[in-house]
Amino acid sequence: MTPNPPRVAARTVNAGFVACLEPMLRRRQLLAASITTVPAFLVLSGCAGPDPLAGPPPLSPDVRGLLAAVTAETNLVFLYNECISVYSGLAPTLRPLLAEHEAHLAQLRSRIIEPPGKSVPTKPSARPRVTGSQQGAVTSLSAAERSAVTANLHRLLAAAPDLAQLYASIAASEATHVTALAGLHQ
Amino acid sequence: MSTAVADAAAVTALQGALAAENAAVYGYGIVGSMLSGGEQAAATTDWKLHQEARDTLDAMISKLGATPAPANAVYGLPFPVTNANAARQLAAALEEGVTRAYLGLVAVTDPTLRAFGALAMQPPAQRAVTWRGTTTAFPGFPESGT
Repeated sequence: MTPNPPRVAARTVNAGFVACLEPMLRRRQLLAASITTVPAFLVLSGCAGPDPLAGPPPLSPDVRGLLAAVTAETNLVFLYNECISVYSGLAPTLRPLLAEHEAHLAQLRSRIIEPPGKSVPTKPSARPRVTGSQQGAVTSLSAAERSAVTANLHRLLAAAPDLAQLYASIAASEATHVTALAGLHQ
Repeated sequence: MSTAVADAAAVTALQGALAAENAAVYGYGIVGSMLSGGEQAAATTDWKLHQEARDTLDAMISKLGATPAPANAVYGLPFPVTNANAARQLAAALEEGVTRAYLGLVAVTDPTLRAFGALAMQPPAQRAVTWRGTTTAFPGFPESGT
């Protein structure tokens, strides 16, 4: 499958800056303005322009959602790898599900242009130890999948339509994983 | 987006889901006729679930002041269904079609309808896995083949 809509931009155009110029400049004046006169005009007119010391602009809600989704998928990939390394007998069932989480992660990452001052996570935020029993490991995976379903269903409510569909599809995939994992309990 | 435009988009997406459910109701009749025993019972259960989902969508469309599109008398099948294996493949294809239609609802602006679409696509995605025997990374999206 290839959900392939446009990437989400990390920052938005400074609309206030443009609006500040519009009432004062006619088109011909703008065309005549040189690279040296425009800064002088900005100073005289009181337009501050972007403040380089103000720090990076705030992240859009879609970028914040994507970063959270990337972190969640990275954690799931870590947990699957841990379970496979500790209980190799589970590998035939878990590897296909792991591959799908890696596909989710790649698709989520492809939607983000790395925002200024904020890097896209590459490492898990949690590294739970897989101990106890094989059944316990499967239970942990099921719980993690259920949490991921819930988080994606919540995330899609306010997201852009293309992202909402991606989150919904990932949630549906994770719901099928819960069923696949339930088969390991039987 | 104006309320009228949002409602029109919602009705279009709901009609798409209804069309997929109607096709599934028709298709499961063929699926069931080619299966036996437990598989036929499963097909009958799924057939009833699609009838219930169809009735739900009918009611939702009517509530928005629109007329639910009627089912076709006959639907073209994506491939010949002459044995049990083809019947299982048809069941999976029907479920994938319904999953895809509900994913269309997730693109509307109304958060209630979005949530409905996102939840409604999970059971057909599950049933598609059951009939197909394998999971997919992105239910509802077309396969890229790569």
